[in-house]
Amino acid sequence: MFYRETGQFKTNYADDMALLPILQDRIGLGIILFVAYVIIPFFGNDFLLSTVMIPFLVFSLAAIGLNILTGFTGLISLGTGAFMGVGAYACYKVSSTFPDLNILFCIVFSGVFSALVGVLFGLPSLRIKGFYLAVATLAAQFFLQWCFVRIPWLYNYNVSGAIEVSQRSIFGVIVTGAKATPESRYIVMLVLVTLMTWVAANVLSGRIGRAFMAVRDMDIAAELMGIDLLKTKLLAFAFSSFYAGVAGAAMMFIWVGGGEANDSFNINQSFLILFMVIIGGLGSLLGAFLGAAFISSLPTILKFGLPAIGIPLAGATAEHLTYILVGGLILFFLIVEPHGLARLWQIGKQKLRMWPFPY
Amino acid sequence: MMQTYHQIARGDTLLAVDHVSLSFGGVKAITDVSFDIRKGEIRAIIGPNGAGKTSMLNVINGFYHPQKGQITFKGLTRSRMRPSVAASQGIARTFQNVALFKGMSTLDNIMAGRTLKMHRNFFWQCLRHGPAMDEEIKHREFVEDIIDFLEIQAIRKVPVGKLPYGLQKRVELGRALAMEPDLLLLDEPMAGMNLEEKEDMSRFIVDVNQQYGTTIALIEHDMGVVMDLSDRVVVLEYGHKLADGTPDDVKANEDVIKAYLGVAH
Amino acid sequence: MDILFKILIDPFLQMGSAPDLLVQTIWEGFVTGVLYALIALGFVLIFKASGVFNFAQGIMVVFAGLTLVGLYEMGLPAPIALIVTLLVMYVLAVTIERVVLRPLVNQPDIILFMATFGITYFLIGLGEFIFGGNPKQMISEQLYLPKGSLEFKMLGGFVQLQKIDIAAAVIAMIMIIALALFFQYTRIGRALRAVADSHKAALSVGISLNQIWVIVWFAAGIVALVTGIMWGARSDVSFGLQVIALKALPVLILGGFTSVPGAIIGGLIIGIGEKLGEFYWGPLVGGGIESWLAYCIALFFLLFRPQGLFGDKIIERI
Repeated sequence: MFYRETGQFKTNYADDMALLPILQDRIGLGIILFVAYVIIPFFGNDFLLSTVMIPFLVFSLAAIGLNILTGFTGLISLGTGAFMGVGAYACYKVSSTFPDLNILFCIVFSGVFSALVGVLFGLPSLRIKGFYLAVATLAAQFFLQWCFVRIPWLYNYNVSGAIEVSQRSIFGVIVTGAKATPESRYIVMLVLVTLMTWVAANVLSGRIGRAFMAVRDMDIAAELMGIDLLKTKLLAFAFSSFYAGVAGAAMMFIWVGGGEANDSFNINQSFLILFMVIIGGLGSLLGAFLGAAFISSLPTILKFGLPAIGIPLAGATAEHLTYILVGGLILFFLIVEPHGLARLWQIGKQKLRMWPFPY
Repeated sequence: MMQTYHQIARGDTLLAVDHVSLSFGGVKAITDVSFDIRKGEIRAIIGPNGAGKTSMLNVINGFYHPQKGQITFKGLTRSRMRPSVAASQGIARTFQNVALFKGMSTLDNIMAGRTLKMHRNFFWQCLRHGPAMDEEIKHREFVEDIIDFLEIQAIRKVPVGKLPYGLQKRVELGRALAMEPDLLLLDEPMAGMNLEEKEDMSRFIVDVNQQYGTTIALIEHDMGVVMDLSDRVVVLEYGHKLADGTPDDVKANEDVIKAYLGVAH
Repeated sequence: MDILFKILIDPFLQMGSAPDLLVQTIWEGFVTGVLYALIALGFVLIFKASGVFNFAQGIMVVFAGLTLVGLYEMGLPAPIALIVTLLVMYVLAVTIERVVLRPLVNQPDIILFMATFGITYFLIGLGEFIFGGNPKQMISEQLYLPKGSLEFKMLGGFVQLQKIDIAAAVIAMIMIIALALFFQYTRIGRALRAVADSHKAALSVGISLNQIWVIVWFAAGIVALVTGIMWGARSDVSFGLQVIALKALPVLILGGFTSVPGAIIGGLIIGIGEKLGEFYWGPLVGGGIESWLAYCIALFFLLFRPQGLFGDKIIERI
């Protein structure tokens, strides 16, 4: 009753092909943006901003990246963590080599490096398919991780072997380093995510997006229609790794504020982002956000939520329980809705359309 | 002499298959088959199951590479070519087992057929305004014409995976038409259809041939349809060519009657 | 030139100058390879019968080993602990079939793959929750596994073979032969091969998929237990082993997901290859290349045979 496209006629193709053709969707997006840009920074506390929102935004970016590759192009990758690492180290090198460069530019530019590395490790995808490819991407994961540790040039020969984030500002506002406020970091992150989501939505709904999906659904037919498989797959790897790289750079510079690669960009990170994509919903940008929100907030919820309802947790036991719960929840969600949270949203919309009638 | 594609006049040879042999390991799929397709005609390829018909189409559009022989298309001879090149030179096809992009809507499937005609670069794609959007709209108009032609307006935004088989075949034809091919290869376009759907599909095929002047090569098991639609028929059996000629010639051919249509005809 | 010499020639000179060391390295690689092959074997069983890319196989190895040691520490005599562990693996197989596989039947492969991730996390949590997260000693003596080593004088030096390694190789071989016989000559084995060929066709002749899945997961559980014992006896039992368990994956793509001989040969190639690589070429780049060399070896083979060493040649049809 409230959500209905009936009566919203389009009189030209441009309107019909808009990203959100239905009025209610546009209103909904407007409300979300208003909450994100106005309500949260003004009324949220530091805990909400730095422990919940910033990680969520970083992971959303990474999940969008992996979703482009796995959800839209059908290529499974277990190397997302490493591609994030490439972004982080590239950003570190670029920002320390050119100290006067705008840090936001450094973060985005570092995506280019991880895109290049992504293309390199995407090359086998022409001959290798499915799970064979997934295992092949593990080569990227472990090789790059090894590079992060063994090539001191990457971390500027720091004794700690870690990335050290210096203080940088944009328009006079400090956005990285220890003195940056959660609000400023959050806003930077939010702008980044908004812009990059918009770009991803544009690309995926046009010619390139269709080529991606064609390769995913039936690669032979796509080839026989003149879609160059190698080019398309490499483009998907580049595009996806770009997002992962930016996410990695943002993670180091805006969220964590420095650290070592093996902790942040290891194989578990890759798996975690794959979870987000699957639980959120393959081939859906909304799903990337839902999955990121779910997985990134889960540890926080368990850590603070369980004691709140009276289940006391000692350190090690809490960790074990978290594992059990995460594993159980993954199974639960897969069984309840294998197509992810985004599909639940679709079903919900369908129900709203019919409401108050059952069908 | 320069190796280029020529403009072919109606009635001239558009595609010539010259002594082609294809085998997989020890299995011979096609043995020394030659025939030609003239511009503007409907050419049927018939034969029992396993005769090598689909393999023949796969050779023509570059998906399989024959061990012997060559293909001449629009005056250019080659023995190997990549499928994407074949597509860009104007060969489109449909598949025996529908090979649509199941996760995409009807509209997107047919739009995907326009990929080769769309050239706006990545930068404009990122913005999806200006030139990229203009291009998108231009091709959308073309695609809408095809949708009207095939009478599938109602399922424009339905994911094709949810459509019944007959409609899927129609969408697949639409996708091939979107490529504006010079040569359209149809692999059993009417398999598994009921009578009404077959009649619809036959009508579409004839219309495509007559309205757009598209040359069509067709594999079909329904002899009634084949004999009615096609201008010329080539008969394959066990990878060999058995007969070649007008439907009446083929019907009268002793070998064909024995091997394929059955003696009691 | 110097660098080329170091990469292309020098390692072989080293091998020639100390052949005993070479033999030792190959032996070490061989034993590691056998263990990789065992993990891969459990995986292949499951993949063949249910088409599930079972990421949890490595974790099942650790879980089985941990259960065995944990039960012993709780006071059960070793043989009884062994039997109880087998029971636990059976219960695990039944549970996975009931709770995970059955509701997810006919879902896309990637969904089932993710489900095995869920199982992985669940088992890690459960194992540590019950038995604690600290590394444990495998109860080798109580299981009558040999200790100590044999030394052979050969090639102008010594080659030392740990008895436990020899035992591991022998037991692995016995188990592989037993499995092969089981699947070749029993009714269940025939049903399993039928299922591997086609689920639908197997169903249509009255084979119960659910039953087959339980059997296969249980068989994979037994393989996991044996692997866990052997592996635990060589180092210790903890979930830290899970990273090593990932090494079974390149073995799989090398051997092909569906081929038992492939898993064995692949395991040996990877095991020996990475030990040689680490020992002779590792120092050139600062060592530690064991973490990724296996994947690169597998990738190299895959570029020439995308279906793995023993997979059937893929003829694409349309």
